[in-house]
Amino acid sequence: MKPEFAIHTEHLGRIYKVRGNRREKRQLKERVALRDVNLQVPRGEFFGLLGPNGAGKTSLIKILVTLLAPTTGRALVAGHDVAKYPQSVRPLINMVSGGESSGYGLLTVRENLWLFAQFYGMDYRTTRTRIDELLEIVGLKDRANTKTSDLSTGLRQKMNIVRGFLTDPHVIFLDEPTLGLDVGASRDVRQFIRNWAAAKPERTVLLTTHYMAEADELCDRVAIINAGKVLDCDSPANLKRRLQREAIFHLEVSPLNGVVHGFEHLPGVRKFVHTPGDGKSELELILESDDAIGGVINTLTTHRARILNLQKREPTLEDVFVDLVGMSLAEAEKNG
Amino acid sequence: MDRGWRLFLRTIVARAYPRVVGQQRQRTWIFFETFLPFVAVSAYVFVYRALNAPADYIGFVVMGGAMTAFWLNIIWSMSAQMYWEKDNGNLALYIMAPNSLMAILLGMAIGGMFATSLRAAVILILGTWVFQVPFVVSSPAQLFAVFLLTMTALYGMGMLFASLFLLFGRDVWQMNTMLQEPVYFLSGFYFPVKSFGFAVALAASIVPMTLGMDAMRQLTFSSGPSIGFLRVRVEIAVLAVLSIVFITAAKYWLDRMERLAIQEGTLTDRRR
Amino acid sequence: MLRAFQRTFFPAAWLGWQVESNWTDPLIFFVFSALKPIASVMILVFMFNAVSRSGTDPALYAYIYLGNALYIYVGAIMAGTSYSILDDRERYRALKYLYIAPISIPVYLLGRAMARFMTGTLAVGITIAAGIVFFKVPIHPMRANWPMFFAALALGVLCLAAMGIILGSITLTLRSEPWFLGESVASALYLFSGAIFPITLLPATLQPIGFLMPMTYWLELMRRALLGSGSASFPTLAAYSNASLFGILAALTLGFGLLAFILHRLFDRIARDKGMIDAQSNF
Repeated sequence: MKPEFAIHTEHLGRIYKVRGNRREKRQLKERVALRDVNLQVPRGEFFGLLGPNGAGKTSLIKILVTLLAPTTGRALVAGHDVAKYPQSVRPLINMVSGGESSGYGLLTVRENLWLFAQFYGMDYRTTRTRIDELLEIVGLKDRANTKTSDLSTGLRQKMNIVRGFLTDPHVIFLDEPTLGLDVGASRDVRQFIRNWAAAKPERTVLLTTHYMAEADELCDRVAIINAGKVLDCDSPANLKRRLQREAIFHLEVSPLNGVVHGFEHLPGVRKFVHTPGDGKSELELILESDDAIGGVINTLTTHRARILNLQKREPTLEDVFVDLVGMSLAEAEKNG
Repeated sequence: MDRGWRLFLRTIVARAYPRVVGQQRQRTWIFFETFLPFVAVSAYVFVYRALNAPADYIGFVVMGGAMTAFWLNIIWSMSAQMYWEKDNGNLALYIMAPNSLMAILLGMAIGGMFATSLRAAVILILGTWVFQVPFVVSSPAQLFAVFLLTMTALYGMGMLFASLFLLFGRDVWQMNTMLQEPVYFLSGFYFPVKSFGFAVALAASIVPMTLGMDAMRQLTFSSGPSIGFLRVRVEIAVLAVLSIVFITAAKYWLDRMERLAIQEGTLTDRRR
Repeated sequence: MLRAFQRTFFPAAWLGWQVESNWTDPLIFFVFSALKPIASVMILVFMFNAVSRSGTDPALYAYIYLGNALYIYVGAIMAGTSYSILDDRERYRALKYLYIAPISIPVYLLGRAMARFMTGTLAVGITIAAGIVFFKVPIHPMRANWPMFFAALALGVLCLAAMGIILGSITLTLRSEPWFLGESVASALYLFSGAIFPITLLPATLQPIGFLMPMTYWLELMRRALLGSGSASFPTLAAYSNASLFGILAALTLGFGLLAFILHRLFDRIARDKGMIDAQSNF
């Protein structure tokens, strides 16, 4: 019987031991990368892990693909314990990481793909057919016999994507697959992943990203992770719906004259994010209701700040993140 | 999809492929990996000529020059390879795939041995032709056995180093530099190791090249037996033992490294 | 002009020193300054011992030992300068910023060459000292002609730096395996410059290459300065007086300096034409 969950984690935790700097006399310190992560991803789901750099996304993926042992708890992938039975998990999974240059520059695209297919025991005919199919889909067919070292970053990442999907994995892990790609290449990659998932409804995809729009566009469900903890997990629509009762405003103001510190005390202001810019500031406000905007405008005019733009908008996953973490993704990365 | 020994064999063939086919594509190897070693060989040949050395010594240098190709391959393309594979993200893919890491190392070794034999043969043929080396092969069967065992032990050592060098991180470059000239010296690439005296020659025998070349010198030159360190049969036996020891140790360390990689999370992480 | 020189040369030499002299790592220090040069000279010592008989000229031993020890400078300065430019381009990705700065690249490379000279000196010093103490090389520091030694050294270093600038400039235009160029040229010249055997042993057709190489005269001058009369037994350049050797070396240094200037301009243009200033080589 096939397991109900493609991915199942129970109280999963991971602590790294890192050596301190000279001032700290190079003593070993503990850095918590993951704490008490409980996730259930059913078979066939497109699941997203959303969080800033350093949130623990890559550590979680590394545990799930058998590259890292958990410190506490356990994780099952395709029904097998990743720490105890990695050999049972490995034939069923594959991974694509963004921003890396795996493969051999001296080999052609086709040769590199053939090489990695062999490590999964794929026979010659299937390998050839799948390489042709996948290269055609991602638009790399005419570069099949080009040496990898001669490919641009975007094309190399497309080859990397093909490598991951070539073995037709039951569970595919995509770790920031569009990292460092230009807009066009990112769109192609997203399109390919979406089509693959649609064509193979029994296959499971776990995508980590810090691009909110990417998670919103692709995922059935999203877990928001920060500082090693899963803060919430639901479909993007449900996550955003929770903010439906709130009013979300975007303001461009010039100049702000230090008023920013008073906002959190204004009645009806739940969360706000201030992004200083060149000559103007941007404010994202989550308010309990539309009425609260009056107090905000009053405060701004009292401080002689000029409102350049005021917009009420629908909630995004970014707003969900701000609501859960108390700061924007960019700020969380800066603090992380 | 294949599993078991069929997957093991597939992996060996696949990992040997970039060595056998890929490396030949960089045509510069003809210059850098045959012409340059030949130049070094020539310099040492002229030193012996300046010293009025017997003709066999010219042959020792030519043979040593050809064998440097294997040693360079061991340190730069075996020992340091896993570190580089880690650096470009391949190591994580190897560990994550259902294949055996030992098959990856064997593939690297067999591919490297094949590609390097081609380079060594070119240096040997060129050196023999240019400097008129007087080879007198006394026992082709023993010579073949010695060469095969030397290669097995040597690449077994390379496989062991490949796992161990993962621990050194960026210092791997210094480690390789440390293993280049000192081993040329200690293994007697250009002179008989008997000159060291028994104790030093015995210690140097930990590198399979030492006994391998000593035995090959004894089997291919008329003056060979007189300058041999140990009897050829003894050297064959020691090389067989070294082969088993290095390959077993490589398997042990590779398993340990994989466990360490998974527990510590450092060996597959390029960002830490 | 002088200010522009100072503005480039001293920071480059300082940078080179910071990059090359990793004294904080005892392993690197030991490997590059002692283990590697001593091992390479020990090969020659044992080759000598393996075949030396009563008839073997002991002066040849000093010839080989010193030639090999001093040749460390060729690798350090000439090949090293070629590595420096690649290091800047590919490892530190800083070459493009140097190029757009108001500095002269050849002067910058000269500065980097000086740093290589300083670190190379340590390895040469250790090798020669080991030769005197452990390997019975007949050098008597009290009897050496030090003014001649330092004059020849200065001229030789300048010449090697000029050759390094040429190599560095060529390196800049290569995409495929540029890292090997410096080492390759240094290895080839090892054969032709009489470093470890008199060039008269080379086939007659190859000997002219040796006589065109400044290292041939430089090594002879250095040996004469350190060994005194002991070096006279080698016939190759015996007919030349010290002054003639200095004259030839100075002329060749000037020639290579001019060549460096011209070739740098040429290869610099090719490199910019091919967009190689911030390129990454293939591996």
